[in-house]
Amino acid sequence: MATWQRTEDPILARLARRAASLRTRGDQVLVLVVLLALWQGLSLVFGTYWVGSPWGVLMRLGKGVMSGEILRHASYTLLEAAAGFLIGALPAAALPFALRRLPIVTAILDPFMVGGYGAPKLALAPLFILWFGIGIESKIALVAITVFFIVYFSALAGVRALDPRLVQMAQVMGADERDVARHIVFPGAVPHIFTGFRIAMPYSIGGAVIAELISANRGLGYLVQLSAMNFDTTGVFVALVATTCIVFLGNWSVNVIERRLLRWRPRPDLDMQAGS
Amino acid sequence: MTRHESELDRAERSQVKWRKYAVTVGRIGLGVALLVAWKVGADAAGPLYAADPINVFQRIVSDSMSGSLLRHITVTLRLSVEGFAIGCTFGVALPFLLRRMPRLARAVEPYIMASVGVPKYALVPLFILWFGIDDAPKLWLVGLLVFYPVFIAVFAGIRNVDRNLINMARVAGASEAMISREVIWNALLPFFFTALKIALPRAVSAAIIGEFLVGNEGLGYMIEYSRQNFDTTGVFTGILVATALVLVINAALVRLDRHFNAWRPIDRDMAL
Amino acid sequence: MAAEALLEVRSLSKRFGNRAGREPSPWVIQELSFVVNEGEFLTIVGPSGSGKTTLLNILAQIDTASGGEICLQSHAAPIGNFKSLKPGLACKIGYVTQEDNLLPWRTTLQNVLFPLTVQRRLNEDTRARAQMLIRAVGLAGFENHYPHELSGGMRKRASLIRTLVYDPPIILMDEPFGALDAQTRAQLQEDLLRLWNLGRKTIVFVTHDIVEAIALGDRTLVLSRSPARVAGEHRNSIPRPRDIRGIMIHPEFAPLYQRIRVQVQ
Repeated sequence: MATWQRTEDPILARLARRAASLRTRGDQVLVLVVLLALWQGLSLVFGTYWVGSPWGVLMRLGKGVMSGEILRHASYTLLEAAAGFLIGALPAAALPFALRRLPIVTAILDPFMVGGYGAPKLALAPLFILWFGIGIESKIALVAITVFFIVYFSALAGVRALDPRLVQMAQVMGADERDVARHIVFPGAVPHIFTGFRIAMPYSIGGAVIAELISANRGLGYLVQLSAMNFDTTGVFVALVATTCIVFLGNWSVNVIERRLLRWRPRPDLDMQAGS
Repeated sequence: MTRHESELDRAERSQVKWRKYAVTVGRIGLGVALLVAWKVGADAAGPLYAADPINVFQRIVSDSMSGSLLRHITVTLRLSVEGFAIGCTFGVALPFLLRRMPRLARAVEPYIMASVGVPKYALVPLFILWFGIDDAPKLWLVGLLVFYPVFIAVFAGIRNVDRNLINMARVAGASEAMISREVIWNALLPFFFTALKIALPRAVSAAIIGEFLVGNEGLGYMIEYSRQNFDTTGVFTGILVATALVLVINAALVRLDRHFNAWRPIDRDMAL
Repeated sequence: MAAEALLEVRSLSKRFGNRAGREPSPWVIQELSFVVNEGEFLTIVGPSGSGKTTLLNILAQIDTASGGEICLQSHAAPIGNFKSLKPGLACKIGYVTQEDNLLPWRTTLQNVLFPLTVQRRLNEDTRARAQMLIRAVGLAGFENHYPHELSGGMRKRASLIRTLVYDPPIILMDEPFGALDAQTRAQLQEDLLRLWNLGRKTIVFVTHDIVEAIALGDRTLVLSRSPARVAGEHRNSIPRPRDIRGIMIHPEFAPLYQRIRVQVQ
């Protein structure tokens, strides 16, 4: 930290922090401007054919949104991701609860689950396309199986993270098995399940897009592939931007839901910013 | 009084043994059941949709003999390792570089984090457009997929190194380079290794998927080519070999990790 | 005033299970016998590691004993076999543990209502009782706070009234105020005595602090070091209501303290 920031006076310290964060914001805007300028420069050097230009992409994006085309493809991809996510995540979250009282079954399943988790599920894309065709089902299946293993392990960790002292406390107060499951096991596991959701979310969109890249006739992945095949770089960028937006949308949704559901969690220290 | 607790002990011990036995039997049973289900399913679904396990086995043998299987595996592995090396190098070098330029690091950070949201696989058509249909687009893919987890782990690790240790080293007269090497590197080794454990299998997966989209060699190519020719047995074979490959790599990494880090107390936060 | 024995402990013994092939582990508790009378505030002191928490765990039916008997209200309690344990003995035994064990996902009010929910006794009367207890310990206004938003002392209070709210005939307390600062501890001791006075429940209060044992109890048992036995029993005739903060000035305090301290060695 600069000397003038290492002050004891609380008011001055706060002002100093404010100034520092403003400066960082300014730097970040500067970086954005530089990146865009670089991109524009590259498009002048290599031609928009190869690189597209910031302006061109923006215009095309606007046009695509207006005409509804982008939204149509985006909603298709989103549907695949969401449906696959639900089909994969819900059973995966429920399974550890169902098996809570049967540790032998969990142990039997364990190597299979670990194998399934480690195996490259995305490599199944061609198989699912073979089975379900190029329609929406193959994408949903791929997303579902990818998400399943991720959420299973998070939910399992959540069920295992049970604090036995809380269970004892509840039992002393007269709780039966169902009470314990409902009031202690489940709420305690929810944060872990959400971590699993958060990790699985990008995989759900990624999986949908990959399957579309290989073989599809709708969706943002399809758009990317189509534009690339037509040497339409601007189109590729537009589709990429749209895909990234969906990922951010997904992240944001998970965060919002989590914040509501997990109000009771102590917030970890948020100001661990590195100093000088 | 001594009576009832030694009864308890004995009962507990025999219960544990019975459990282990039951679990092993269960696992073998489940494995066999899955194989049987595969055979039955294949018979029911027909050769177009499902490949008979016996045919798959025969194909594996014949492909191994002819050397084509080995060739595909080698190609995929080579791609994975090359891409892994590239991604790792940048993933490690960049955070250390950024450490020396904290202002730049703060300015650039949000964009790096935002770029994590871009699905890298979606970039492959663009890479094909730019870099042609050889290894280049696949290397870019693998490199990127390895870069991000390594970068994030190293970046976060550097940031979380105890300031006191660094200050103490500075006071003792250590140069910045030495600080980077001794204090920081050692502190972030565990995080780095955790990231590697994730990144290496990912590299192999990425190579395979890249081969779905471009190229004429490798496991991914083999799978996709079979699919396009409705050679279901080929598809199954490829997927099986690919899965086995990744699982073997995973297992080897776990073994290595345990061997080298046996002395470390396990940090629960680092496991999934 | 013939007090009835509510809880009888006879020749209680405990040692933890030993691993195969090793020496049998030492006795933690051996031939421990005592009686708790109805309406009595019994304090138990002993050095750390003397098995106090184990004793309470056994009484609360969350741990087994290796021998001996426990009778609550003249009914024998199952203690030998893990499977036959009935934690809390059908809600007759309340247990305030050292850690507050509040459910982090429930607000203060929800935590206090928790035993009532689980016992299916949640109604207007019991809710009112919960509210009364919340006010009585000074937690009014914090009903909708989550445990992580409360201080250590406040969480302690919440866990205390959580057991009081369902009114079990006998309440075990394991150094509930041990982790608090002196001020908060004194405040809570006063609150506890005040609440106890309202209903004169039977309380078994374990502590390592002799001053606390004298300030709160009608009778104090001293446990010996491992293996724990009753090393002594001391009647406390300092009249109630007691002045917690000034207890040490009371003429009867010093000799009682001396007698107990000598035995605790």
